[in-house]
Parts: sequence; structure tokens; C-alpha cells
Amino acid sequence: MEVLKINGIEKQFPDGLPKTLIELLKQLDINQATVVAEINGKIIAREDFSQTQLSSGQRIELVRFVGGG
Amino acid sequence: MDKLIIAGREFNSRLLIGTGKFASCGLMAEAIEKSGTEIVTVALRRVDIENENDDILSSIDRTRYLLLPNTSGARSADEAVRLARLARAATGINWLKLEVTPDPYYLLPDPVETLKAAEILVKDDFVVLPYINADPVLAKKLEDVGTATVMPLASPIGSNQGLKTRAALEIIIEQANVPVVVDAGLGLPSHAADAMEIGADAVLVNTAIATAADPPEMAAAFKLAVQAGRMAYESGKPAVSSRASASSPLTGFLREK
Repeated sequence: MEVLKINGIEKQFPDGLPKTLIELLKQLDINQATVVAEINGKIIAREDFSQTQLSSGQRIELVRFVGGG
Repeated sequence: MDKLIIAGREFNSRLLIGTGKFASCGLMAEAIEKSGTEIVTVALRRVDIENENDDILSSIDRTRYLLLPNTSGARSADEAVRLARLARAATGINWLKLEVTPDPYYLLPDPVETLKAAEILVKDDFVVLPYINADPVLAKKLEDVGTATVMPLASPIGSNQGLKTRAALEIIIEQANVPVVVDAGLGLPSHAADAMEIGADAVLVNTAIATAADPPEMAAAFKLAVQAGRMAYESGKPAVSSRASASSPLTGFLREK
């Protein structure tokens, strides 16, 4: 089965992976305008979200801003 | 009041505001407004993929406030550099509050890792504002590698204890050629005024405002205190003496010579 490790948690995709990063964000209901993404340690620019293809086993980090001092 | 200049950019306010611990985004926005600040800090965290996430940036008008992402949560130089690059990718700006705090109890910054990260980030074109213990030698070393400021702590983060590091802060202020921003531990407007009176260029306040019963009113109080402290500093400090010095003329009257 195809899997992605998202924010340290392994997530299984029994119906196949979303094709691109932007489709993954839609599936997870995450606002793409406020998120920063890293795939296997490499930062993905926001304008490249729609062209970034996903493959099984990738480590994906999705971060965003929160309150902090 | 003189303007505050950091990395060539001018600011009218000498109060930086942290955005943590506010009960709501609305209260935070109102406190930011009342503080008169022009620089607000934010943190980066993992998105919770199971639950809905608030978007703090929608409550901060980025045309009015410079966003200063921090590297809180980093326990090593490598983690801080990674967070810094993510923050830059997110904001498109290169200003950064560098903090490396491996100790979870006192949240004291790691001087070795902070210096290491600062060197890497300055070379990578970041404007680096490092959070440090009140260590004059470290402050000089950071300045030498090209940081835009130094941000020594007054007392541990969120402790509201005020200027526990006064003697060391005074040495840092005396020696620094970059702005000194006193960060962490300022619990009352009088603490902020105190820091400004000894010559700090600015202060950063979060907990004292965010956890007050009325955060916007406390933000307004800090604004006045920072202005008062700075004006006092710019006015020139009067001398301290162990003996009394009469304010009224001591010419005798109503008395025999």
C-alpha cells in the first residue's frame, strides 16, 4: 500500500496517493495559502505546490505560523 | 525620541510584541494595535492534520507590522537553521529571531549552538536577531559574525521577574555597536521602563501583555513605559549620591544666624 509520512505520522492511502502536493492539501483540508511544505527535507515553494508530484514513502512536513514570543 | 534602526530599517516604536498565549486572535490584534508596535514575533509549528487550524496571520496586518518569525522549539543549530529556512519560505522575508533553547525548564538559550546558527544564517542573507543569555562576550561574538541586534534576556522567558541580569545588561549596552533588545522576563511596564532607562534600544514583551486580565490596556501601558524610559535615557541620567542634596536653597531663615 502507498504511504506518506506526514508530520511524523505514517498515513496510508488505500485508494492511491494524491497526484500532487496541492491535491494532498485539499484532501487534508489544509489551506495552502498558510502552509509551508518540506518533502524529504527539501522546502517546496508555494508556487510549486501544484506541480510537485508525490511518491510512496516520502517524508512530508507541513508547518504554519502560530502565536509565539 | 530617536528612531530605532535595525539593519538599516527605521522604526518609530521601541516595543516589540510576541503573539503567544493570547486567549484569542481578536484580543491579540487589539493588543498589537494599542501597543504601537511595528514588529511582531510568530512561531512555526506542525499543522495538525486531524483538526482544524487557526490562521494567526489573518489577524496581523502585514502592511503595518513587520513579521519576525522565531525558531522556538529548536534545540540545536541545525534545527534552528531548518526552521529559519521554512519561515523564510513562508513569509518571503529574511528577518529572524534566532532562539535555540535545549533546556525545557528554564528555556535558557544555548550560546554555542546560537552562535553556530547565527554564522550560517548571516551567510545565508538572513537578518538575524539572536535571543541570548545576558553574556557580554557572546554578544560581541554575535555582533562580530554580523547579527543585526543582540537580544539578551532580563530573566527566564515568561517568568515576569524583571531585570535580574541588570549588571550584565549594562555591560552589553555599553559595548554593543548593534541595537540591544531586552527580551524575556519583563513582567511589568516598570521593568520595561527600567530596561530603557539603562540604555536598551528596545524591548520585546509577550507574556506580561498576553496573560494580563486586559491585554490591550496592558499593551498601552507598556507603550507609555517604553516611551518614558527612552525619553529619560535620552535626557541624560542625573547623578546618584549616597547623601542628600537639597532641592530647595539652604539659605537660613526664621532663625538666628
